[in-house]
Amino acid sequence: MSASAAPLEIVAASKSFRTPEGGTVTALDNVSVRLGGSEFVTLLGPSGCGKTTLLRTISGFESLDSGDIVIYGRNVTDWPAHKRPVNTVFQTYALFAHMSVGRNVGYALEIAGQNQRTIRSQVGEMLELVGLTGLENRSISQLSGGQRQRVALARALAAKPQLLLLDEPLSALDKNLRQKMQHELKTIQQELGIGFVFVTHDQDEALTMSDRVAVLAHGQIQQIGAPEDLYKRPANLFTADFLGESNLIPVEAAGGTAHLGDGQHFPYSGLEGRGTLMLRPEELSRAAGDGPALAFPGRVSARYYTGKDYQLELASETFGALQASLRDDGAVPAIGEAVTLYSSLQNLHVIDEVVA
Amino acid sequence: MKPMRRRTLSLLGLLGLPTAFLLFFFFCPLIIMAVYSFLTPGLYGGVEWTFFDLNYGRILGWADTKYERFDPVYLEIFLRSLRLAALTVLTSLIVSYPTAFWISRMTPARRTFAIFLVTLPFFVSLIVRLFAWVLILRPTGFLNQGLMGIGATSEPIEFLYTDFAVIVGMTYVFIPFMFLPLYASIEKLDVDQLEASSDLGATRFQTFRKVILPATLPGIVGGSVLTFIPALGNFIVPSVLGGAKVVMIGNLIEQQFLSARNWPFGSALAMMVMAAVLLLLLLQLRLVKGRGEAL
Repeated sequence: MSASAAPLEIVAASKSFRTPEGGTVTALDNVSVRLGGSEFVTLLGPSGCGKTTLLRTISGFESLDSGDIVIYGRNVTDWPAHKRPVNTVFQTYALFAHMSVGRNVGYALEIAGQNQRTIRSQVGEMLELVGLTGLENRSISQLSGGQRQRVALARALAAKPQLLLLDEPLSALDKNLRQKMQHELKTIQQELGIGFVFVTHDQDEALTMSDRVAVLAHGQIQQIGAPEDLYKRPANLFTADFLGESNLIPVEAAGGTAHLGDGQHFPYSGLEGRGTLMLRPEELSRAAGDGPALAFPGRVSARYYTGKDYQLELASETFGALQASLRDDGAVPAIGEAVTLYSSLQNLHVIDEVVA
Repeated sequence: MKPMRRRTLSLLGLLGLPTAFLLFFFFCPLIIMAVYSFLTPGLYGGVEWTFFDLNYGRILGWADTKYERFDPVYLEIFLRSLRLAALTVLTSLIVSYPTAFWISRMTPARRTFAIFLVTLPFFVSLIVRLFAWVLILRPTGFLNQGLMGIGATSEPIEFLYTDFAVIVGMTYVFIPFMFLPLYASIEKLDVDQLEASSDLGATRFQTFRKVILPATLPGIVGGSVLTFIPALGNFIVPSVLGGAKVVMIGNLIEQQFLSARNWPFGSALAMMVMAAVLLLLLLQLRLVKGRGEAL
């Protein structure tokens, strides 16, 4: 094991499945990722995008058609699952129903042939880490959903993995518990200092927890980067659309200036030709501000109160329906009201793809 | 009407008939048998209503030379029956376990068809099926012809009328009893748990021993009990495939009731079988205790 090697390197991984109807589905299409240090990386994407397949090829439950999986410099592509130095927290938890909590958590140690004393102290330590101290002798059926989740985590961590894989482990929990677990997972990851690869289709979860997020679709990584980068500067329309709400406005750029359909323009040098301006709903506001701004006149066609702000849908003649979120300042326009929303020219992001 | 009384009434309506049926057709005959086993056999069949413990004495060893003699052959036959039934359970288990595993991994449509195939022999008369086995196992049967054809043996091997033939026959007859409970527990097996086990470092064999086997234990125990009980008391298979050489307790009981017309002795033998079965059920209860399922 060389010290400089990455915890995980996936090189040009491809995998396709045969469907029962006789067709083929490409789950992974030439995917390459490199995990640095003790990173919390999330694989995010809609169902069927290949994220779970990618995770299962890392854990060894699926084999690759081509490509390599390298863990700390060792090529484990052909290793069976039980030999790989990674462990998984399953979506269904997959706890052994016929064993106590303690035996579940100590399973990897039992398999490895550790003595009872070591196992007991390790199990105690792991249960303490996940906040279930003293529950060794409970049976799985006596646990709540959240507790089972913690047992599954403790069981995977007790095996001392070099990399922990988590397959949508929080999806069965209710919202409050899920948020609590998100913070705890992050804390545990930082405490242990090992890499976590987390699979989810929940974008909030991905943005909240991750050091980096990889957005997957159609078996390919669309973009990988820090949550802020992904949200503010999506590389393509898929990421822009998949992560949060966005207004996608066609622009045409030439000679350092981008033009909107209604003649408004702003300086932009990164593009020649047609592209798409992405405006997040929170970037639109009622006041033009000090500097120059883009103006979007229209009529409010829908209004929703979400608690922290108002979601407005603005019917604009030139740009169609625009989404905006406005703070509740007591003067939020009502449905049917004509209003002009503004966006500052600062930090505008243009994607070099054209809206279909 | 109070809701409580309504519930009681509806329970009574639902369970009344089956309970009456079981009482009349199952429990009453059983009591009669139990009582008969302690009565004196009549000189020309039937019973005399005087207490008599030598029906059991003949089997278990307290002798009385005047009326009935102790003969160890009864105990021998009883023990042989236990042995043959146990071996039948074992062979059924060995055949059914991998089959059930294989079928549980099929696509739903194929699965239904495969289970239908397993239960298919039920559709043909037992006697016909057993005589088919006579044709296979007899000295000039298919098995011997095949073995001699490939040169494995020069003389026909005596398969028929041996323990082997009886075990083969009973395994064949009772496989569905083993297969179905086994299949039910194997089908419920959580594939994720098997993956989790290998994820945590277990080889296939370790996963089998630590996860699959304990998780399917209720099915194994249930199937074993369901196979053992009818195998122990069976008399058709040993009489067709065992002939006079392999007599099981079932044949003995049949003889006592139908030929010897010694009902009290036959009842005593039957009570022995029942005692063995009850002991087994007790064992089963202990084995699967706390798993929330008996069979």
